[in-house]
Amino acid sequence: MAEHTGGGGGGGRESIDKAREEFFSEAQELVDGFGRDLLAIDELAKSGRNDPELVNDVFRAVHTLKGLSGLFGATLMTGLSHELEDVLDDLRLGRLDMTTGVVDLLFRSAELYGQILAAERGDRSMPEAEMKALLLALGQVTQRSGAGGASPVAQYELDPGLLGVLTEYEEHRLRTNIQAGVSLFRLHVTFALSTIDTALDELKAKARPLGEIITYLPTGSVGEGDVIDLEILMASHADGTVLQEALGAPHIRIEEVKRRIGMENPAMSLNSPPTMAKDFPLPVVWGEQGHSSHSSTPPPQAATGREQIIRTPPPPAIDKRDMSLRSVSQTVRVDIRKLDNLMNIVGELAIVRTAIARLSERAGHRPGAKDFSSELHRLHRSFERHLATMQSGILEVRMVPLGQAFDKLARIVRQISREHEKEVHLVITGAETEIDKLIVEELSDPLMHMIRNAIDHGIETRDERKNVGKPAVGTIALNAFQKGNQVVIEVEDDGRGMDPQRLIQTAVRRGLLTAEQANEITPREVLSLVFIPGFSTKEEANEVSGRGVGMDVVKTNIAKLGGVVDISSEVGIGTKMTVTLPITLAIISVLSVEIGGRAFAIPLASVEEAIVFNERDVRVIENREVMTQRGQTLPLCRLSRLFEIDTPEASVERASDGRKKFVVIASVGSRRLGFVVERLVGQQDIVIKALGKSLANVRGFAGATELGDQRVGLVLDVAALLEEVLVGDKDRVVIDVAGRTRESPEGRGDGRARTASR
Amino acid sequence: MDGLVRRRAESRAAVRRAEDLGLRVEYLGFMLAGEKYGVRIALVAEILKPPPLTEVPRAPRYVKGIVSVRGRLVTVIDLRRRFRLKESPADTRTRILLVDRDDEQIGLWVDEVLQVYRLADSEIEPPQVLGGDQPAYVLGIGRPENELLLLLDLRAVLES
Repeated sequence: MAEHTGGGGGGGRESIDKAREEFFSEAQELVDGFGRDLLAIDELAKSGRNDPELVNDVFRAVHTLKGLSGLFGATLMTGLSHELEDVLDDLRLGRLDMTTGVVDLLFRSAELYGQILAAERGDRSMPEAEMKALLLALGQVTQRSGAGGASPVAQYELDPGLLGVLTEYEEHRLRTNIQAGVSLFRLHVTFALSTIDTALDELKAKARPLGEIITYLPTGSVGEGDVIDLEILMASHADGTVLQEALGAPHIRIEEVKRRIGMENPAMSLNSPPTMAKDFPLPVVWGEQGHSSHSSTPPPQAATGREQIIRTPPPPAIDKRDMSLRSVSQTVRVDIRKLDNLMNIVGELAIVRTAIARLSERAGHRPGAKDFSSELHRLHRSFERHLATMQSGILEVRMVPLGQAFDKLARIVRQISREHEKEVHLVITGAETEIDKLIVEELSDPLMHMIRNAIDHGIETRDERKNVGKPAVGTIALNAFQKGNQVVIEVEDDGRGMDPQRLIQTAVRRGLLTAEQANEITPREVLSLVFIPGFSTKEEANEVSGRGVGMDVVKTNIAKLGGVVDISSEVGIGTKMTVTLPITLAIISVLSVEIGGRAFAIPLASVEEAIVFNERDVRVIENREVMTQRGQTLPLCRLSRLFEIDTPEASVERASDGRKKFVVIASVGSRRLGFVVERLVGQQDIVIKALGKSLANVRGFAGATELGDQRVGLVLDVAALLEEVLVGDKDRVVIDVAGRTRESPEGRGDGRARTASR
Repeated sequence: MDGLVRRRAESRAAVRRAEDLGLRVEYLGFMLAGEKYGVRIALVAEILKPPPLTEVPRAPRYVKGIVSVRGRLVTVIDLRRRFRLKESPADTRTRILLVDRDDEQIGLWVDEVLQVYRLADSEIEPPQVLGGDQPAYVLGIGRPENELLLLLDLRAVLES
């Protein structure tokens, strides 16, 4: 049958897909790391400094990307990496300076990597044009960089043999240090062969604050007692005694490398004529062969009478990079779907647990089974405990710091503020706040739009800011913190704020509001106008925030994650947007309730309390049922009416079985609402599962879950319901607003439920 | 390029040969309000006795509800409602057909599962033979041995 074709051979395709998936995640990680390093490099470059280690990191990342992309036929990526390698090589060898122009190109490259990755995934088309432009620019940069000047190295009493095996990079570092007037030291160290890796790392760590280790070479024979002698060349500002003290160990002998007579002034070396170097011909080997070709150039004997260094050839096969790679790879990369799967199993086990509990209870009622029952009960308790540990363990694995999303934002801010004549300082707090990995992923885009909006609409130009007496550089604060079961993220700018009158005018002009409605609108509702699709206060859409995505999309996407966005703004002072999100999407505690005999679950994170319902307390204000609870007015929502569930309302106050009804008070952000339900069943932890795609347009449910006995209960999307009930029909103005929002193709808690389906 | 063209021609020829030999397509027959229907059996993943079903408020009318199949949620469509037929309560013969739709499995609520019919092309008539406008989800009329089977295009059925 035709439908079966493609079914076979699925195993092979699956493993290819898997490999590709791994390629994507690894490449993405490298590109992210690249971006992070760039930010640090940029920060240093601003103050005219340069950390060679950072450039090296970037070089390594690009190199790995080149290899990876070659493996997977991502040719554009291979091409870009290749060109970048050249530039980075020039940078780390000092043939090219880290100018703003170069940093910009690097940032563009990071951006392009992201685009290529997205294109490889099929999310967009290949960015051919940008690729072409960037390659051209990168090519120009490398061409311009010429060769370095004459070597000032000759003025030191360095063993030419040692110099002969320096790599081009080490040679460059040596030169840089000499030009900076830093003293050179020769360290003789003896290490045990078995612990050389760690001992060397330790030494490097100790040396780092004092200077830089340029190279190390094994000297003499490996011979006795499995120890090895190393000669280390180090550049340091400190003097010998300080070094000796800091590096501490008695098995280290330190001597300063003497300058040759008549070459006392290090500044001179900058202009030293090439003839100087000729006096002392250095067998410096340039280029890639640096490591391997030394054997063919036997070191000339040192004529200085210092102790002879007998070199053993450095082991060519062992690359230092590999050693450090091995030591950091203590982590495992896991597809989040696998964790979802584990979480599903935990959910199933929770159902088993409930069954065992029931069994033990039933056995307890039988006369002859008392012992059996208590044994079962004990097993149940232990099972329960381990299950809880397992659940929190899996949850913990899913948690990642928000910083992952924030790093990308810092890059965006830099880019946008450069494109505009606005200078923006991004202040991040709480980057360590942890949240579910899936939420972080889905959060990047909404946050990016919020920040773009803040820069574009909020922050004024330099001149405007100066005129109103604000610092020329605008500030955007990105704050994250945990609040109970929720994570709060604030995006706050010190820009011009939102002018209610302008918002109203725009809304009227766009036909989103009638003049009549404009007169009745409340200040709070004015700000929420920006969430209406098609609303944008800038007269002309520009390339930053005018790409057809507005705050309505931001709101929709946050809502999909089970969160809410609130805005507060003061004209002239600034705007603050607050996003409140659940910490995890995977497992949630719910309060199970019944309405008309049907089971529903309300996420406990948004439940404040449940109280007995009393029909007499209900008053009607402006067509809405409310009750007073501890002096506060609480709007009510009868779920049976909202969901059109038939309940035999013989007595409105009592459920069909004559018991009292309850009010479950739910709140999200600053909004509160009382849900009238017939029965409280109890609290339990559930794995929330996605409703199928065919139900994607049904609003008000975050998903569903098994409640045991194969029964399925729907989980309320409290944020959406609060929105719908409180904002939805408060008055005509916002009926209009909500009506439009409802037309947009959003789901109800689609994103939240995606946890289960991915 | 040449190879591709050749392979296509070959497979077309193979299909024709198979048709000449009277290769048949299998359909699963089921009852709905007294009429017989058929869907390609290749699309049917499983036949279930209805587990407890949860109605979904606000869902489209033809959605009967959701069920859990080994921990997975499946949306069940009531074909009687979908085809605007008279509703009737479930009985012991009621079944749910799990069918694949793109990346989601959907349940079809049917009165009774009959048997597998193997139909040759010659036994299938275009929907127009029933006259007038037939709904898009009727693929054709199967006529195995004096019987009449409304063959369904699942894609059209599941499109809302």
